[in-house]
Amino acid sequence: MTPAWITAALLGVAVLLGSVRLILWHRAAVAPSLKRLIALLLLQPICAALLFLTLFPPAISSGGDALRIATKGTSRLAIAGGPLILLPEAPDIGAGERVPDLATALRRHPGTSEIMVLGDGLQPRDVESAKGVAVRFDPPPLRPGIRHIAPPAIVAPGASFSIGGQLSALPRVTVELLDPAGQLTDSVQPDVDGRFILTGTARAAGTVLFTVRVREGRRTVEQASVPVLIADGPAPRLLILSAAPNAEVKYLRRWASDAGFAVTTQISAGGGIALGDAPIAIDGATLRRFDAAIIDDRSWAARRGVLMGAVRDGLGLILRATGPIDAATRGQWRALGFGLAGKDGVAPLALPKPLTPALARTRQGIGSDDVPADIALPDEMLPEISRLGLTPDGGGDSVPLLRDAGGATLAAWRAVGNGRVALFTGIDSYALTLTGYRTLYGDWWSAMLATVARAAPGMTPISTPAWAGERMLLCGLSGNAQVERPDGRMASILPMDGCGSLWPDQSGWHLLRKSGDSPPTPFYVQPADALPMMRAARDRDAMLMLRPPAPGDRKATGQQRPGSSWPFALGWLLVSALLWWLERARIGRTVAPQSAK
Amino acid sequence: MNADELLARWTAPAKRRVITDSLSLALPLVLAPAAIGWRLSGILVAVMIVVIGAAIALLFARHRAQRYDQRWLVRALDASRADMEDSADLLFADPAKLGPLEQLQQARLADRIDRDSPQSLRPDWSRRATFILWIAALLVIGLVIFWPRPGHGPPTLAPSTEALPATPGIPRLVAQNLRIIPPAYTGLPPRDSASLDTRAPVGSRIEWTLRFDPQATVPAIQPVGSAPITLRRDSANWVASRSLDASFLYRVDPASGRGPTPPLHRIDAVADSPPQLRALSPAASLTMVTQGQRSWSPVFAATDDYGVAATARLRVTLAIGEGENVTFSEREIAISGSGPARDRRFSPRLDFGALGFGAGGDMVVQLIVRDTRQPAAQEVRGPSLILRWPSPKQPESGGLQGMVNTTLPAYFRSQRQIIIDAETLIKQKRRLAPDRYLARSASIGGDQQILRGRYSQFLGGEEEGAPEPPTKDSEQHSDDDGHDHGGAPRQSAPGFGAPEDVLAEFGHPHDDSPASSLDPETRAILKQAVDEMWQSELQLKQGHPDLALPFAYRALRFIKEVQQATRIFLSRVGPELPPIDASRRMTGKREGLASRVLAVAPVEGRDGPAAAAWRALGEGPGAIREPIALDSLDRWARDQAAHLPDPLALSGAIDAVRRDPACVACRAKLRALLWTAMARPPAHLARRRPADAGGARYLGAIGGGTP
Repeated sequence: MTPAWITAALLGVAVLLGSVRLILWHRAAVAPSLKRLIALLLLQPICAALLFLTLFPPAISSGGDALRIATKGTSRLAIAGGPLILLPEAPDIGAGERVPDLATALRRHPGTSEIMVLGDGLQPRDVESAKGVAVRFDPPPLRPGIRHIAPPAIVAPGASFSIGGQLSALPRVTVELLDPAGQLTDSVQPDVDGRFILTGTARAAGTVLFTVRVREGRRTVEQASVPVLIADGPAPRLLILSAAPNAEVKYLRRWASDAGFAVTTQISAGGGIALGDAPIAIDGATLRRFDAAIIDDRSWAARRGVLMGAVRDGLGLILRATGPIDAATRGQWRALGFGLAGKDGVAPLALPKPLTPALARTRQGIGSDDVPADIALPDEMLPEISRLGLTPDGGGDSVPLLRDAGGATLAAWRAVGNGRVALFTGIDSYALTLTGYRTLYGDWWSAMLATVARAAPGMTPISTPAWAGERMLLCGLSGNAQVERPDGRMASILPMDGCGSLWPDQSGWHLLRKSGDSPPTPFYVQPADALPMMRAARDRDAMLMLRPPAPGDRKATGQQRPGSSWPFALGWLLVSALLWWLERARIGRTVAPQSAK
Repeated sequence: MNADELLARWTAPAKRRVITDSLSLALPLVLAPAAIGWRLSGILVAVMIVVIGAAIALLFARHRAQRYDQRWLVRALDASRADMEDSADLLFADPAKLGPLEQLQQARLADRIDRDSPQSLRPDWSRRATFILWIAALLVIGLVIFWPRPGHGPPTLAPSTEALPATPGIPRLVAQNLRIIPPAYTGLPPRDSASLDTRAPVGSRIEWTLRFDPQATVPAIQPVGSAPITLRRDSANWVASRSLDASFLYRVDPASGRGPTPPLHRIDAVADSPPQLRALSPAASLTMVTQGQRSWSPVFAATDDYGVAATARLRVTLAIGEGENVTFSEREIAISGSGPARDRRFSPRLDFGALGFGAGGDMVVQLIVRDTRQPAAQEVRGPSLILRWPSPKQPESGGLQGMVNTTLPAYFRSQRQIIIDAETLIKQKRRLAPDRYLARSASIGGDQQILRGRYSQFLGGEEEGAPEPPTKDSEQHSDDDGHDHGGAPRQSAPGFGAPEDVLAEFGHPHDDSPASSLDPETRAILKQAVDEMWQSELQLKQGHPDLALPFAYRALRFIKEVQQATRIFLSRVGPELPPIDASRRMTGKREGLASRVLAVAPVEGRDGPAAAAWRALGEGPGAIREPIALDSLDRWARDQAAHLPDPLALSGAIDAVRRDPACVACRAKLRALLWTAMARPPAHLARRRPADAGGARYLGAIGGGTP
């Protein structure tokens, strides 16, 4: 039993006795006043409690030598407590020491091993200097808004692209993607975690801003520009090998040559007769001239040695099935690393639900005399298209690449040496082009070719988000570089270890011109007030990666010590005086006893 | 003269006067609102206001007249005539209830009353009120008639909004009015537009009234891409007019190019849309004639933006006859519709007798409507509605349904099912007509025949020949009976869908049939079953299912015996093709066969100028901050107008940028419009980057993929 407990028990007994005495006294009184009795009975325990707190004031935890850092959004109540450092973005809360940055504060307070960050958190400027100390930080909950947007890295002209993102604390909203002309391109509902994926289509090469808009009913909650860099790479040289003339090869060749690829088609018609382009010998030297090859299962069987050699050398290979495959082919494809699982034979392929005509037209753009706009609008008739019953996702080393609407993997790829091999299990995909699904056809084949085609040197995109008025880091610089601002002014960058800093002062597309005559790399700088939640989330995540105080640290620094007992003593005095006065005061008493005396 | 007549005679003039007075008071109160209603909403509203107002006025007049009753008359007589001696009420009192003195006074009064005429008691006209009301009503009606209408009379000019900088000495547009006179058939009133941009129906007349300051000498209206429209001086203003055939952009050039280039204006031509036609009833395109129906009234609704012609044509096609003997006749009937011009109803009544439509025929009707467009009306054909009168024959042979019946696949019934059917039929015998009974019995007999044919197959089809004579004891059959090797057996019509019979028909499938695999005992039992089926079939087809039953039961018993004796499988696999003989492939003649080059010409992407201009207007690589040459883009936009969503807006945006190359908002607008004017090319590839030295080493090390 601690002294505190004994005192508490004594006080309790005293209150009890006092109350009994009061009641007896009240009953014996000549002119009892019930109000006064109730007041006295209520004030006694309060008086006792205050006395207890005066004797044993509640402990407060102190940060020991923890330095308290006020950042943006610090509450005014933070004045109470230990020494306070005010960073430039902290609100003026009346007290504390103003410093230009955290490093200065740590220099002025040598020996600090732990800091306690109040408010929203440190800016990227201070995160580096906070790495030397333990950081206590209780992150405030994120406000509603766009938490993250991932723009596509580089989009090829005409390709469709996806913009991923996440919302924070925004249930029941619609996320929309608007194209540069302000037309609706996609509209989705985010999942329970607030994640969403929006799809848009590119046109010609250039830089463009799409807009992501979050709407709650008819009200726009937030909208932000998403930079999309459309850049054309070198056209791939494509080899199509087929063991028989068929519609699939015909439409594949048509699609690839319309897309501007250098296509060489070799169709064997049997008996040594070849159709298509001028015959070539399929050997290592020839295959080195190609970036990608699309081979059907029957052509593959005879040439797999030389093809796999070329793949190790960097060639991209797409294997496709013309129909149900035999055991030998299945074994060979399994040996390539595609874990084929499922039934033999052919299975129906689930097509995605067609877009509404308005969305489809917006994504497709205008038509021409050769290609009318409505050629890309799905017919009522569904194409006759199927896939192998075997799906290439049952284990193995492969990465799924395409899935149909039912979730079955249609294509998968894996790296082999410097090259890549993909396996496409769709059969008669050409039927898509005939029934208004040509965009889906194009999306499938360009996704596969883009994944496997031989690597080509090109632009390295700058994907880190940047805001005006904030330092950003540009890396991969070999020599001095220059940045052209949106208004045409140039900024020189002196890189160290390949990286250089830039303080963009205005938003818009900037051009990074590296030494040499390589094409400039565009990158977008968001306006300072754009995407505030994304910025806050980035800083918060950086804060949470700092070293929190270890349990050992806490014992050394953060001990409990009794707080001040003066406020309680004062309160006890006041309540006691009130009690005394209530007992003694003449107000409200009848004067009758006087005359009785 | 009794009291009632007296009362009527003396109050009638007053009542007439007060009714006339009330009506003359009410008339201006009705006419003024009617005139306002006519001006605002047309004659229909005016008539409605007049009718309702007149009804209220009559009620009001009647109410006022009712006050002139007996009490009033007594009081008026007493007040106005001294000779009534304040006892006028005696005139209307019942003489039987009066005393002698009162009767005397009543008689005196009756004598005196006619000394003055009832007209003297008429109330005076309410002259003042009538005068004021009429003056007010005439004022209102005059205002209604002469208040200026928009689109008529001299236009009111609105101040210009072009906001061009004023240059001394160079004329500038200061005020404008655009009058749109739509074609008469649209029924739209002419209207004035304060702005120089507008939308109007195709065929409208557009009239500009413009004022310049200082006064212009050779102003012109310059449409983009066509000849200028000359302006004519009309006192202080300049006027021009033009008929609207297609949307166009134009600018008002006050000083023939000396001043700053004025902004573009846009007039959109709204095309007349063809009428929309739908059938309200019947809802389905195929309707059946109901019992006792003598006529048909389909209802069509035709809507149009301006009006549907009141008369339409109904094309009636009759298909009469059955089978191959169908005759078609087609005629067109003029019908008139009802309802407002923009939403007309057509409900022709088609009398079967007049059209010659009878049982077993089809009547197809199609409505053909026109709108009121001038000079050439647009004609629209509606959906075809079919009325079918089924043939009284059984089964229904009208059109498709009859065909479906005959093409139903034949199916086999089991022997057990035949017995069940026959027993059911026997039970229903009393309720069925004799011919119906016979028909159903014969149909079960047909099933029996098909089943027999099927089992005969196992016997090589030989049992198709002749049945055992019924007199002979059927239990005594042996292998040798009815074994006929001479020629193909006689084949009864097997019925559609019995392909097994083909085998028996076209060959002598003695050894090839599955029967060859049967042992002699089974064959014997099966043969007996088939013989019993023969008998059962015979009786059933003659309409004696009761006599057929014993044979059917016996056949069932034999079949069961066979089933117990051995298993019979019917081959159900498809044709099995022989394996391909690789050695024989490609060994035929191969002259003229050689490798060929199949040429393919890629479709060219054609948004070159658009993409170039789009890049130049942007901020990325290829951006041009200086003025951009837009001529090729302008030409391209004009060539591609058919494919562009809004070619005029694009032309306007091009013009805006050309006029003010430094205008950031204009450039952004043009760039946004160019995005909608570009086709999505076939997707190019975003190629992956080569791995650096470390990455290449890693990829080489993991290798993988051993085929």
